[in-house]
Amino acid sequence: MSHGHHHIIPFQTLTKVFIGLVALTILTVITARLDFGPLNFLHVPIAIGIAVIKTMMVVLYFMGLKYDNRVNGLTFGIGTIFVLVFIVITLFDTAFRGDLGNVDTETIMDRQREEQLLQQREPDPDALRVAPGAAAAPDTAAATDS
Amino acid sequence: MATTTATTADAPAHEHAHHPPHLQHHFVSSEQQFDSAKLGMWLFLITEILLFSGMFVAYTVYRVWHPETFTAASAFLDWRLGGLNTLVLLFSSYTVALSIHYAQKDRLDRTFWMLVITLACAGVFMIVKAFEYGGKFAEGVFPGEAFDPVGHYAPLADIPYARQFFSIYFVMTGIHGFHVLVGMGIFLWLLFRVRRGDFNSEYYTHIELAGLYWHLVDIIWIFLFPLLYLIGHGGGGH
Repeated sequence: MSHGHHHIIPFQTLTKVFIGLVALTILTVITARLDFGPLNFLHVPIAIGIAVIKTMMVVLYFMGLKYDNRVNGLTFGIGTIFVLVFIVITLFDTAFRGDLGNVDTETIMDRQREEQLLQQREPDPDALRVAPGAAAAPDTAAATDS
Repeated sequence: MATTTATTADAPAHEHAHHPPHLQHHFVSSEQQFDSAKLGMWLFLITEILLFSGMFVAYTVYRVWHPETFTAASAFLDWRLGGLNTLVLLFSSYTVALSIHYAQKDRLDRTFWMLVITLACAGVFMIVKAFEYGGKFAEGVFPGEAFDPVGHYAPLADIPYARQFFSIYFVMTGIHGFHVLVGMGIFLWLLFRVRRGDFNSEYYTHIELAGLYWHLVDIIWIFLFPLLYLIGHGGGGH
């Protein structure tokens, strides 16, 4: 038949993939509840890893990309790359905010040293005195900073 | 493929004789019509993936900023209900794959029943989701400004940024749930068309494309389940 092109995925293959997906779901619940002690930081990579394996099983067998036209796989692959670009480039901003906000001519190290000096310095008793009139008090506090 | 090339020369006269009723005139063959529809569906699925990835980016940014909040607030989600829904969706993905398998073998009676099971699973998923949402709304766990947890959820009031976690939870699961509802509508429509005898092993494009959509909805949940429900139960004293 000319329609041999449409690969019929065997019943056994689909069933095995389904059983595998259920097994991986149980595995992801178990690993999430285990205490790895000092290795607890592995929880996220393990959870994402299992989810990626499950996704590959669904995409390759249930969605049939393994037997399909290459162009569909290319579409999916390029789309996935853009998801990674989206997440990684956003994190370059949000995860390092503050660290890269320095637009002064002096370096971050210089500023930290300066802050330490300011903290160690004995405050001028005059500057700590509360001025007469409660409303004026915040202004005095602000003036001490500069 | 070989047949397509061989028939191109005498196509106009020859092909019209064997013109199947479903083949539209701007396509050379059923094969090409099917492949075009499928590529179009994959392009649509990519836009869907990018829609959800925006929400996954929001999730990632807030989790990197407030990891303790995510661990503490996630413990208030019931992983058993989330796990049940994961299994229900995986099973529905399996049955929709089988419905295509049987359509390719011209067993449209079985295709019909596999689609019925898929539709039922989607219904179970939405009912479980309704119970989860209902329990949270009853005790003041709403997205955004209305967030005012009481009762079982009262400790959330002392967790900074718990409101952001639940806003992300409601938006992600809500838009996913909307996709499940749309899927239910599509399956209902397919059931009518299968019953009417519209499809056969030569022409089952609609079932194939609905299946692709449904598997994508399943994949989104494959990521949502561990990322929302399972981060609060690990070791480390939470």
